[in-house]
Amino acid sequence: MKRIPLLLLSLMLFFACTKEKKYEYEVDPVTVSQNSGDKTTQKTTSEFISIAYADLFGIQIPQTRLVNLSIAYSSFGDQKVIEDRIIRNFVNDTLAIIPDSVVINNDTAAFITKAYKKFFNREASEFEKYTWKNAIRQDASISPLTVYYTLMTSDEYRFY
Amino acid sequence: MKRRDFIKKSALATAGVIAAPYILPSGRLYAASGTRRVNHVVFCLYAGGVRNLESVHMNDGNLMPNMFSGGGSISPDIIGAMEPLPASPLPMSLQNYGTLFKEFRYYNGPTGHYNGHTVALTGNYVDVDLNLREHPRKPTVFEYYRKHNSPQQSALKCWWVANTLGPYPALNYSSANAYGASYGANFISPTSLISPQGFDVLGNPRTFNSQEEAAVNNIRTFVNGMFNHSYSDGSAGVVNTDPDRVTLQQFITDLYTKAQNSSFLNSWNAGNAMNNDMYNILFAEEVIKTFSPELLVVNMQDVDICHFNYSQYANNLRKADFAVAQLWKTIQETPGMADDTVLIIAPEHGRNFYPNTSVDAFGRRALDHTAPTDPNFTGDPNMQMAREIFCLVVGPPNVVVQNQVISTIMGESTEIVPAIANLLGFDADMPGSYGVKPWSTCQLQAAFV
Repeated sequence: MKRIPLLLLSLMLFFACTKEKKYEYEVDPVTVSQNSGDKTTQKTTSEFISIAYADLFGIQIPQTRLVNLSIAYSSFGDQKVIEDRIIRNFVNDTLAIIPDSVVINNDTAAFITKAYKKFFNREASEFEKYTWKNAIRQDASISPLTVYYTLMTSDEYRFY
Repeated sequence: MKRRDFIKKSALATAGVIAAPYILPSGRLYAASGTRRVNHVVFCLYAGGVRNLESVHMNDGNLMPNMFSGGGSISPDIIGAMEPLPASPLPMSLQNYGTLFKEFRYYNGPTGHYNGHTVALTGNYVDVDLNLREHPRKPTVFEYYRKHNSPQQSALKCWWVANTLGPYPALNYSSANAYGASYGANFISPTSLISPQGFDVLGNPRTFNSQEEAAVNNIRTFVNGMFNHSYSDGSAGVVNTDPDRVTLQQFITDLYTKAQNSSFLNSWNAGNAMNNDMYNILFAEEVIKTFSPELLVVNMQDVDICHFNYSQYANNLRKADFAVAQLWKTIQETPGMADDTVLIIAPEHGRNFYPNTSVDAFGRRALDHTAPTDPNFTGDPNMQMAREIFCLVVGPPNVVVQNQVISTIMGESTEIVPAIANLLGFDADMPGSYGVKPWSTCQLQAAFV
């Protein structure tokens, strides 16, 4: 009988030493991007030129080119006219990185998603993807170049 | 609702719908009814600081024979600095076609270039140092024209052509309440834009076919519709309609094409004598030929070299004079503008009587432009010489008094805006709140029939 309490004590000690389970709490990976409604700050002239150049050529704009563009920019009163001309010159440059037409036809939604992230720093909404897909399907003249040109000459591209 | 009330409210609503389309963008219910004297005005700011001693008083001979009659030959000691220029394109000097005010005045405020330009374009003296990054605070003549002229015209009919950048692009519209970019002038600084550097970055634009253009326009409308801010109305400069923007793009393209042609650049046969002022006028002529503007302001400023080189100042006075003659010739050769244009020519301010310490290769002392700004100044009258300028008004004989010279002190810089407004028939519609001198009190009236 004397052994029974000893045995019970041993059992209690044995179970008391069971290793605790560790729980780790994490969040699922989420892509954070800007909402178009958050963009209220207009890019300055040099910001607009520098960002447009970097977006299309994948490198920082050379200083001389930035200066020449800034001078040209100030030389005409209607900035929309001159911005349109700047972008037309950029997309016409053989060094501009613009995907082939095959890309737009293979997976239109993926192309639009990527283009919105590149130029607008946000996800394209389902409605936007739907509208673009329809437009591209119905009009063969819409190419990656015209998509890039359209986005870069839009109001949203002028803000961040 | 009672039947009577219903009928009354319906009638009022219907009347409102009918009346609404006739309310002009200016907020006025009816268009202005002023009578025009001419349909086009060109204002040439013979700027950079021109002293009456060298212009109308011809102390070194007649340096401006295209504009002024008489005077002797150029002083022998500086003749070596004068570059050869072609013969005058005009049968007689410009003063024969109008009225010359020899003693026009720039009465108040600092005698700086930007101040002077602002005074000339707003009709108001500026008595404080200007923030060069700001648009003028009071409306410019461009805005008065576009807002009050009837029928209202697009910015294609209203131009500001400047020979340099710096603060000058800001002069095409003001920050004044109820005016601004929507009523501004198209601005161009051609010698900056149509340059080798400008061509390098803007000379090779992608052109889209009509189907691509239509697709881009459609889809851009959708993209812009999804965004809650509009990039326009002042933040993007002067406002043109989309079709007018297409016209402007083509105009720029045409200028680049012309500028690559040496015969265009040497249209005046002036060869190496062509300077920045002359090119600026040459490009202003393209604005005239393309758009037949109702209001065009163009400036020149190369005479400001006088800060350190008097002889080249004299040389550049000659070049600017030759350019003005070419400008008048082009106006008279442009259908619609010939015999229906008044040209006003005036410096923005003068130069000092007393020289600074710089001496040029011909032994002449240089001149600054620093008149005292104290309105109660009673010292040496020569200190005020930078306020003494001329004004030449030329135009059709039924509008401008021909071959008239006024040698007494008469007229001032702030009278040019009301003169333009009166010539184009909208002076009565301009608000008095911005301090523009009423035309009925302007001495510049003496120039007109």
